[in-house]
Amino acid sequence: MKGFRAALVAALLAVPLAAMQTASTYQERDFLTRVRRLTIEGRRAGEGYWSPDGKRLVFQSEREPGNPFYQIYVLDLGTGDTKRISPGIGKTTCAFFRPNSDEIEFASTHADPKSKQLQEDELAFRASGKERRYAWDYDPEMDIYAYSEKTGAMKRLTTARGYDAEGSYSPDGQWIVFTSMRDAYNRPLDDKEKKKLAEDPSYFAEIYIMRADGSGQARLTTVAGYDGGPFFTQNGKRIVWRRFDESGLIADVWTMNPDGSDQKQITDFGSMSWAPYMHPSGEYFLFASNKLGFENFEIFMVDAQGAKEPVRVTYSDGFDGLPVPSPDGKQLAWTSSRSGGSAGQLFLAQWNHEKALDALKNAPPRKPSKKS
Amino acid sequence: MNHQRRDDVRTQNSQNSQKRILSAVSAVSALIVVAVVGLFAPVDAQTSKTRAHVQALASDRLEGRLAGSNGERLAGDYIVSQLQQIGAKPLPGQRDFRLPFEFTAGTKDGGSRISVQLKPDTTDARTSPPSVASGFSRTFESDVRALSFSDNGDVDGTVVFAGYGIVVPDSQDFGYDSYATLDVKDKIVVVLRYFPEDADQKTRSMLARYADLRYKAMAARQRGAKAMLVVTGPRSPNAGELVPMTFDTALAGSGLVAVSISGNVGGAIFRGADKTLEEAQKALDSANPHVAGFTIAGVNVHVHAAVEREKKTGHNIVAYLPATEPIGTTPKPWVAVGAHYDHLGHGEAGNTLAGKDDAGKIHYGADDNASGSAAVLAVASTLAGQPRKRNVLVALWSGEELGLIGSNAFADKKPVPLDQLAAYLNFDMVGRMQDNKLSVQATGTSPAWGRILEQANIAAGFDLQLQADPYQPTDVATFNGASVPSLSFFTGTHADYHKPSDTADKIDYEDLDRVVDFAAAIVRRIEDTADAPQFTKVDQQMQSGGGRAGVRIFTGTIPDYATDAKGLLLSGVIGGGPAEQAGLQKGDVIVEIAGQTIANIYDYTYALEVLKIGQPAKVIYMRDGKRRETTLTPAARK
Repeated sequence: MKGFRAALVAALLAVPLAAMQTASTYQERDFLTRVRRLTIEGRRAGEGYWSPDGKRLVFQSEREPGNPFYQIYVLDLGTGDTKRISPGIGKTTCAFFRPNSDEIEFASTHADPKSKQLQEDELAFRASGKERRYAWDYDPEMDIYAYSEKTGAMKRLTTARGYDAEGSYSPDGQWIVFTSMRDAYNRPLDDKEKKKLAEDPSYFAEIYIMRADGSGQARLTTVAGYDGGPFFTQNGKRIVWRRFDESGLIADVWTMNPDGSDQKQITDFGSMSWAPYMHPSGEYFLFASNKLGFENFEIFMVDAQGAKEPVRVTYSDGFDGLPVPSPDGKQLAWTSSRSGGSAGQLFLAQWNHEKALDALKNAPPRKPSKKS
Repeated sequence: MNHQRRDDVRTQNSQNSQKRILSAVSAVSALIVVAVVGLFAPVDAQTSKTRAHVQALASDRLEGRLAGSNGERLAGDYIVSQLQQIGAKPLPGQRDFRLPFEFTAGTKDGGSRISVQLKPDTTDARTSPPSVASGFSRTFESDVRALSFSDNGDVDGTVVFAGYGIVVPDSQDFGYDSYATLDVKDKIVVVLRYFPEDADQKTRSMLARYADLRYKAMAARQRGAKAMLVVTGPRSPNAGELVPMTFDTALAGSGLVAVSISGNVGGAIFRGADKTLEEAQKALDSANPHVAGFTIAGVNVHVHAAVEREKKTGHNIVAYLPATEPIGTTPKPWVAVGAHYDHLGHGEAGNTLAGKDDAGKIHYGADDNASGSAAVLAVASTLAGQPRKRNVLVALWSGEELGLIGSNAFADKKPVPLDQLAAYLNFDMVGRMQDNKLSVQATGTSPAWGRILEQANIAAGFDLQLQADPYQPTDVATFNGASVPSLSFFTGTHADYHKPSDTADKIDYEDLDRVVDFAAAIVRRIEDTADAPQFTKVDQQMQSGGGRAGVRIFTGTIPDYATDAKGLLLSGVIGGGPAEQAGLQKGDVIVEIAGQTIANIYDYTYALEVLKIGQPAKVIYMRDGKRRETTLTPAARK
C-alpha cells in the first residue's frame, strides 16, 4: 500500500508541476508595463478604440448625468480632456474612428421615442437598491450613425429593425463591418426561433458589411449562434470576429474575407473567446477568454494563422477584455475590472511586442478542444 | 503615518502586527519590482525635484524629527529656508512660518510620598518587634511611584485590601468582582498588580483583559475610593517592584490618586492586617470568586501623588503662495497641500516597530514622511512659477505620529478659516511606489474628484488605487472632519515602516517626482475651476474589529487623544455612525455612558465593554460648559 500511495502522490503532483512550468514562463509584466487606469469618472467605461494617429481614444462610459446608459466620449491623451460626441439620450455603444476622415461611427438608440422613459426606468430601478447581473440587452432600436467632428452632424447609416451595432471601419475608411440581428425581424420565425428571440436575441446576430455611407449592406455569415464583434485586420484583407456556438456559451475567434468567403477558425479554445483584434504588425490577434473560469476573463493572444495554442497576457482578478493595441503597436488599451467592483474601466499599458512574439513562437501547437 | 486612532485604542497592537505581516509580504514583492523599475531611465540626482529634500530631512542630524525635539527644530529650519527660496509667504496675519502648539510629551514622577501609620491601639503580634508594637509610622519616598495616569494630590485615610482589584463586566457573564462584598467609599484601596497567578488558562485570559491598571483605577474610582495603591505581590513576577512610569499619549488623568508601592510598603501596610500580603495573595490566586478582600483596620495611610506631565512645543510650518490675480468673488479662494514632517525620533514615543537589534536607533522616516514633505515642497515650487487664481496653502505638520496633533491644532486655531479651503491634498508615505500603483484616499469627499483625477492621470499615467474612505490614519482625517474636500496620496506600506531602516536610499525618486507632477496638475485644476469642489460626507466603512474579544461595538466617535480634558473629548464623529445619529459632535466631552463615568479615553474603552449592540445607552456630555444628555445606540462593527 505504501508504494501505491507514493505513486499516486507523484501522479497528482505531475499535473500541477506541468501547469506551473507553463504558467511561470511569462507574467503579465512581461507584456504589459506601466499599467494604468484611464477612466475614473462614472460607473463604468470600456471599448476604447484608437484614433488613427494614436493621440486619442473613443470609448463608451456611463457618466452622463441623468442617463444611466453608455454614451460615447473622445479622450485626448495629450491634455486629458474628454468630450461627449453622442447625443446624450438613450443607449450607445461601439464607436470607431473613420480613417482619413473626421467621422466617428457608433450605435445609438436616441431615435427611439421611448429612450427617455427607459433611462428613467433604469434610474428608478437602480435607486431601489436592487442589483441585477450586468447584461447587454441588444436593444432592437440600436442603429449605426456616423458623427462628423467638424460639423457635429450625425448621419444615420442603418434603419433595419433589430440591433445594428459593433461597427468598425476598414483601414482605408471606405467600409464598415458590423453586427446585426435584423434576421430575427425581416422574415417569419418558426416557434423554436420565436422562443429563441425571447430568450436570447443574440442567437440571430450575424456579420454584415456596408459602405461608409451606409449603402450596399450585405450579410457575410449564416451560421446559427451569435456572430459578432467584427474588425478588419491591419491590412484590410480579412475580417476577424467571434463566433458563438448555438448554446451561447462557447465562442471562438474566426477570420474571413471581406466578402464572407474562406471562413477560418483561428482558436479552438473550448471557452468563451471573443473580442479579437489584430496587432498592427499583422502577426497575432489579441482576444479575451474565460478559459480560466467562467467569470474570470483574461486577455490572450494567438498567432494570425491559429497554428499554436493561445498565450495568456493578463494575470489579474476580475474581467480583462476588449484589448485594442495602439496604431504603433506599442500600447494596449483594454477594459478591466481589476481596480475592484464588477464594473469595468478603461486601462492602458505599454505593450512589449518583442516579448509577445517570443511567447507566441514558444507556444505549443494548437490542441483541438475536447468539444470539437 | 500614524496608527493610533479610532475609538478602540485597545485594538492597536493587533493592527500593528497586522501591518507587520503586510510589510513582510510587501518586502517580497518589492524584490520582484526591482526588475520593473530598472526598465525606466534612472533619474539624475541633479534633476530630481525631491531627492535633496528627502536626503536632508532623513539625515542623521535631524535624528528622526520627533515632535518637540531638536531634530524637529532643525527639520523646520530646512523647510523654512526652502519655503523662503520658493517665495512662499507666512500666512496672512502671521509673521512667522512656524505655528507652535503645545502637547504633552511624557510623564515622570514629581516626588510622590507615602506614610503608613500603625494605629496605637493595634497590636501587631506576628511580625513587628515588641518595641514598636504599640505604634509605628514611616514615610517612604523611593518605595512609591505615581502611575502615569494618577491625579496629583494628597489623600489620607483607612485602607481596604481589594484583592486583584478586578471587575469583569456583567456582560461577560463571568462573575468576578473584587469589590463584591467591600465598601471602599472614601477609602484607600490596595490592590495587587496583574491577575490571579494560579488560575486556569481560560480564567486567566478572561481576567487578564480587565487587569490593566487603567481599568483597575476606573473600577476603584467608580466605587468611591479616594486612592488606589498597587503592589506587585510576592507570588507574582517582579515581586515587590514598582510599576515603571510609562509614556502615556492619552493625557487625561484617571480622576483618582493612583500609585504603585514596593513590597516594603505593602508589608508595612499589612502589619495592620491579621495575615501577611503573601497569605492574602495565595488565597486569591486560584481565582475563586468568593475569596473577598478586607479592611485593614490597623493602619492609616497618607499618600502624596505627583505626576509631572512634560509639556513640549511642536511646530507646524505653514506658508502660502498668494493668488496671482485678484481673488474677487472666487468661492473658497484657498487650495491646501500638506504633509507631516515629524517622525518617531529614536522610537521613544512607543510607536516604533523596531526589533530588539534596532531599538533606540534613529528612525529616519524617509518614506514616513520625508517623502511627503519633499512632495509638498516640490509641488509648491512648481506652483510658484505659474499663475494662480486661488491662494495655495502649503503646510508641513508636526505631531502627526503622536495622534494628528499638529493638524488638529491648526484646525482648532484656524489661521485660515477652513471653510475657505476649496480642497486639501495630503501626502503621507509616497516614496515607495510598487508596480506603478498610487493609492488615492478620501476620494469620497467630493463628486468632483472622479473627473479631476481622470484628467490629471492621463498625463501622469499611474495605476490609481482609489479609496473613498477619508477616515485614514493621517492628517487628511483632520480636514475631512472640517468638511474640506480632500485627497491623500500613499504608495503603500513596506517592511521598513516605523523602523530605523526607513532610509533615504530606499526611496524611488523618479516615481516620487511623478506624484509631484500629478498633484501639481490636480491643484492647478482646482485653482482654475470657478466652482469649488462640493464636499460629500462619507459614511464610515466599518472596519472589522480586531483586538479585544467581545468588542464588536461601533459607536462612531473619534476621540481626541491629545487633551487634558476630563472626560472623552471628541475630535469628530464618523459620518452616519451612532454618535452622529445621537447628535454628538466635534468638541463634545462625554462624561458618562451607560451609567459609567468617563474620565478619559481608557474609561471610555472599558465602558464600551458593557454596551450592547442595538441597545440604547444614555450618554451624558458637556457642550459649551453645559451638561447634556442623549441616547446612543451602538452598532456592530462589520
